Amino acid sequence: MSSRKQVKGEYIETDTGNKVSRKANLIGTQHIMLGGKTVIMADAMVRGDLTRTASAAGSSGGAPQSNTSIFIGRYCFLSRGCCLRPPGRIYKGAFTYMPLRIGDHVFVGENSVVQAATIGSHVHIAANAVVGEFAIVKDYVRILEGTVIPANMVIPSFSVVGGQPGRVIGEVPEGGHDQFEMRDMYKTVGNNIPPPASPGHLAV
Amino acid sequence: MSSSTKRHSMMPRAGTLPKAPVNLSSSVVIHDNAVLTGNHTINISSETVIHPRNKLDSSNGRVTIGRRCIIHERVQIGAPSADPTKGEFGVTLEDYVTVEVAAIIESGCTTIGEGCLIGVGARIGRGAKLGKHCTITARSVIQPGEQLPDFTVLYSNGTRRIDRRGVTELKNKAQARQIDIMRKLIPTNLARFKD
Repeated sequence: MSSRKQVKGEYIETDTGNKVSRKANLIGTQHIMLGGKTVIMADAMVRGDLTRTASAAGSSGGAPQSNTSIFIGRYCFLSRGCCLRPPGRIYKGAFTYMPLRIGDHVFVGENSVVQAATIGSHVHIAANAVVGEFAIVKDYVRILEGTVIPANMVIPSFSVVGGQPGRVIGEVPEGGHDQFEMRDMYKTVGNNIPPPASPGHLAV
Repeated sequence: MSSSTKRHSMMPRAGTLPKAPVNLSSSVVIHDNAVLTGNHTINISSETVIHPRNKLDSSNGRVTIGRRCIIHERVQIGAPSADPTKGEFGVTLEDYVTVEVAAIIESGCTTIGEGCLIGVGARIGRGAKLGKHCTITARSVIQPGEQLPDFTVLYSNGTRRIDRRGVTELKNKAQARQIDIMRKLIPTNLARFKD
């Protein structure tokens, strides 16, 4: 976290524009990478401490690999009570966690649990969804409320996913990708929010 | 008091909830942010791992957790049910049980059999009895008093089938491997929970 003197407020705002609630639950912060302009709301939980323990494939040549377990891009929004944790599996005879990568403009709804391997950019995960271990979600995907995405599922771009277990039930309509834009939402959260001048729409 | 201007931690503090009488094996791994509360005994057998922000509540009956269980974060074990009846037995988890993130296991003679997997956000009702090696997928609900035979897989809002893969040995082995790693990753201070 930023070391400069902070004014008291609900959010800690870093130099790169991240807004992290003081009530958020970040464990193993040294293993969490935030791209900037990311909002983490109260009670969101990010498990950075579950780092990769197996060494990567021999091709790296023994270079000291970074041990970051969660990468989060720009303009992501982690709602209240959501949980991000790296997926884990048996790899070469030993159990290891693998990094969780999240792209830009990703919204994670309330009480959703994300254990994916990769979430692309412009992904909307509604409330109470579960993204199973090692799932791969490509760009511009909308995951509906209460969806349970099974482990190892790969979701192609521009899909709408719903159900329990999750299935691709539709496509994002042409021109519908504007709704994934998270810049407006980023501005609604923080310590000194000016009252809304115009009724801005929220892509919720 | 100047405490009103101080920021209040959301972490459950030891002082706010009564510490439960515990009986922990020395090889148990419990993250500091877990909460063990209630007035009945909480027994945790060897090599079990308890992740942060868990709540083990024995106020409605004794909580017993077997060997090599993994309890992921935000799980509530011994949660009060809709019609709480205080009894001697709250929740029993047999060996090799995995409980994933944010699952809720209600108290009241609830038994989870050996090798069961309780998925993310599932809810196990009061007095339910799960046989051995059952799989309860994410967000499933087990009604109070329901009984599941061994090897049941519950998925898709209540559809059931029987798991005939016969991989229980492998599964238990994988669980042991996972616990070995968890032991390195999760700092634990058992003294905090004792007394």
